[in-house]
Amino acid sequence: MKRFLPLYAVAAYAFLYLPLLVLSMFSFNSSRFSVWEGFTLKWYGEVFGNENLLEATINSLTIGLVCTAIATAVGTLAGYAIWKRKSSFITNSLYLSLLTPEIVTGVSLLAFFQFVFRFLSVPLGMHTVILAHVSFCLAYVVIVILARLRTFDKALEEASMDLGANEWQTFWYVTVPAMLPGIAAAALLCFTVSFDDYVITSLVAGVDSETLPMVIYSMARKGVSPAVNALSAMITVALGVFVLLAGRMERK
Amino acid sequence: MQRLRAWFLAPGYLVTVGLFAVPMLIVCAYSLLSRGPYGGVTTPWTLENYLRVFDPLYLTILWRSVWISAVSTAFCLLLGFPLALFVARAGKRRTLFLNLVMLPFWTSFLIRTYAWMFLLRDTGLINTVLQALHLTGAPLPLLFNNGAVILGLVYGYLPFMVLPLYATLEKLDPALLDAAQDLGASPWVTLWTVIVPLSKTGMMAGCLLVFIPCLGAYLTPDLLGGGKTVMIGNLVQNQFTTARDWPFGSAVSLLLLILVLGLLRLVARKEENLL
Amino acid sequence: MNRRIFLMGVAGALAGCTSGHKRRLNVLNWQNYVADNTIPDFEREFQCKVRYSTYGSAEEMLARVMAGNSGWDVVFPSNSFVGPMRDLDLLQRVDHKRLTNLGNLEQHFQSPEWDPSLDWCVPYMFSATGVIYSKKIAHPITAWADLWQNDYGRRVTMLDDPAEMFAACLKRLGESVNSSDDRLLRKARDLAIQQKPLLRAYLNEEVRDQVVAGDVLVAQMWAQVAQGALEASHDLAFCFPSEGFPQYADNTSVLRESKHQDLAWEFVNYLLRPTVTRDTVIAWRTATANRAAREILPTELGKNPVLYPPEDVLKRGEWFRAIPGDAQKRRDIYWTEIKSA
Repeated sequence: MKRFLPLYAVAAYAFLYLPLLVLSMFSFNSSRFSVWEGFTLKWYGEVFGNENLLEATINSLTIGLVCTAIATAVGTLAGYAIWKRKSSFITNSLYLSLLTPEIVTGVSLLAFFQFVFRFLSVPLGMHTVILAHVSFCLAYVVIVILARLRTFDKALEEASMDLGANEWQTFWYVTVPAMLPGIAAAALLCFTVSFDDYVITSLVAGVDSETLPMVIYSMARKGVSPAVNALSAMITVALGVFVLLAGRMERK
Repeated sequence: MQRLRAWFLAPGYLVTVGLFAVPMLIVCAYSLLSRGPYGGVTTPWTLENYLRVFDPLYLTILWRSVWISAVSTAFCLLLGFPLALFVARAGKRRTLFLNLVMLPFWTSFLIRTYAWMFLLRDTGLINTVLQALHLTGAPLPLLFNNGAVILGLVYGYLPFMVLPLYATLEKLDPALLDAAQDLGASPWVTLWTVIVPLSKTGMMAGCLLVFIPCLGAYLTPDLLGGGKTVMIGNLVQNQFTTARDWPFGSAVSLLLLILVLGLLRLVARKEENLL
Repeated sequence: MNRRIFLMGVAGALAGCTSGHKRRLNVLNWQNYVADNTIPDFEREFQCKVRYSTYGSAEEMLARVMAGNSGWDVVFPSNSFVGPMRDLDLLQRVDHKRLTNLGNLEQHFQSPEWDPSLDWCVPYMFSATGVIYSKKIAHPITAWADLWQNDYGRRVTMLDDPAEMFAACLKRLGESVNSSDDRLLRKARDLAIQQKPLLRAYLNEEVRDQVVAGDVLVAQMWAQVAQGALEASHDLAFCFPSEGFPQYADNTSVLRESKHQDLAWEFVNYLLRPTVTRDTVIAWRTATANRAAREILPTELGKNPVLYPPEDVLKRGEWFRAIPGDAQKRRDIYWTEIKSA
């Protein structure tokens, strides 16, 4: 078994990485088909020349950042409050929202937005996508924050209060610094989940809120194209670097 | 402390009520209404949408979703267990190896599905290589079938299986393994009689984490199944787009949710694992 | 920074935004329905910013605009969707006075059967559905029935579209593509289920590249999509099946919810210009309803037998029509049965 496990692990890692590696490799292939014909950067040129893609990338980044800011703030506060004393309503709702299949979440939010915004005569758009993302990201944030708080000693807060700090000062100067790595991890998770989401976004998106996954999906539906390979390779590398950097920061 | 806590909880309440509970209630209401002539919802209130789900047609789709998800979950377990065991025993390097498992998971799910479209199509890499080696004359039909869907799901959700398995395997007391070995058990016997039974909770959690998203999947069957495999996710999506039958789509959504919750009740005891 | 200066700065920035803000127009169209220069030229000429997005099926478009607060201004409904969208109160009535180029339309598109006095839409492009096949197969395809004969090594695809699937099956049965008769629809469903084991997949436009590459040998396809494939490969041929085939037209309409009515009608009128339409046809090999544009097309496009079938072929064509609600619901159920069989 000592010999079997490492061998197996090599195979398993190959299974995990090879498809992405091959995909990236062939984004440099000058032929549209899977026969290597020569090195080219033209597909990357095609991606950068595509205005829709650029706009979608900006949309995705905006949505990801705004959603991360809101969800992390709300989730950190809620997580802290739940840690102080249980709130079964929020805990159960978040738990349920995590288990709800994406398609159901998307459909319910779409129904809600169409229902509410028809009365306000506000169109679907960026704001609805951000609200939807906040909704499904919140559970992730709370989980990460709670996990972090479990390692935090309540006695520290009591000591701070005994030394004359008020609730707010205690929270701000004692608890928040201790939670910071957790907050960073939560924000990271939130951003990646938001950046990657297709199912929910495609349902609640309106004018001006086409995101990167939506563009990739419509390109993939049209068939395999090396330009999609190029785009995928760039996203994979960018997200990979982002995750590694964030992981390193968290450890410090 | 109480006042601060109330203030802290307020935005969380706002989000969960406004963006989760109320939308779900609207879906409940829709599921009891009727489809308008061109789509949308109208009165009268009816239970028809729920009764319609019990039509053999939809039960077949449900059954197909369940078995495809179950097979995918089984493959994930089979492939994920040795990997988790390897990572858990990797000593100092285990964080690195675990991160290596998780890294693909951080890249886009859509892109990972697309990667398999790229590999499996007729003029894709696998068929090109097979033909170049003269192992097959004509390209094999690898894409657009249930097998491709299962492969896509396994590839997509394998990290969900490895993570909880690793968490339990890592906590396993090495003394137990030593004891088994001292008593003369071979590594395989130890594996089967000691390690596997002790990692049951991790397996359970992993299976749930894989099974639930598989059950609601719709991208994978759509892209890798070529529109020939209909799962519940596709059924729901179709009701809200092409068929424009919102009430029925809502009813199926709710039943899907109930199914997931019921399953959870059966398998897990309390919400202790996640929150 | 002083607080007051900051606030003034913000106010100034906001004012700047609104005054310097270009007019906007949101256009939701089918894929492949404008040339590369169509939108930029319009933006330059009318000093505006156009948000252009695409959809893959008429149902998808309707689902997106149905709530009446989608934010889109101009959409391109298929002829069978014009009636329902009018009934749902989604469309703005056509103001003929604004459309100075309306006379460019082909005579029979001035009063089409789906909107005889062009009150709700302006015909844009049209086409029909047939079968594209590789000349390498043993016998050329001539009829829908041929798609039930052989699986050509499982390299046959049908369109992933209920209306098209039913149209093919109903025509095979010798019936109307718009049938609401439950008995016929059930027969059509049975035919489709019988055919399913022969099929590689249900695919729409995306099949074009696979047909060109030889992954797929026989495919049910829209003539205008097929034209692109025919030009990319000499091994392909197209047939309008002998039992008859469906025809459709895509039209330009302005949504009632549109907040940019003036610009929207300018856009509709702009698309009616012969040169604008010509560029789109050259870019995408579509068939235009615009007579003036067709006259200035190169012959191989303006007189193309796939895009503009001759009269004796057209006699077999039948326009798609709106299906009544309850028949539509049954069709949806049968479609689900086909897909899940």
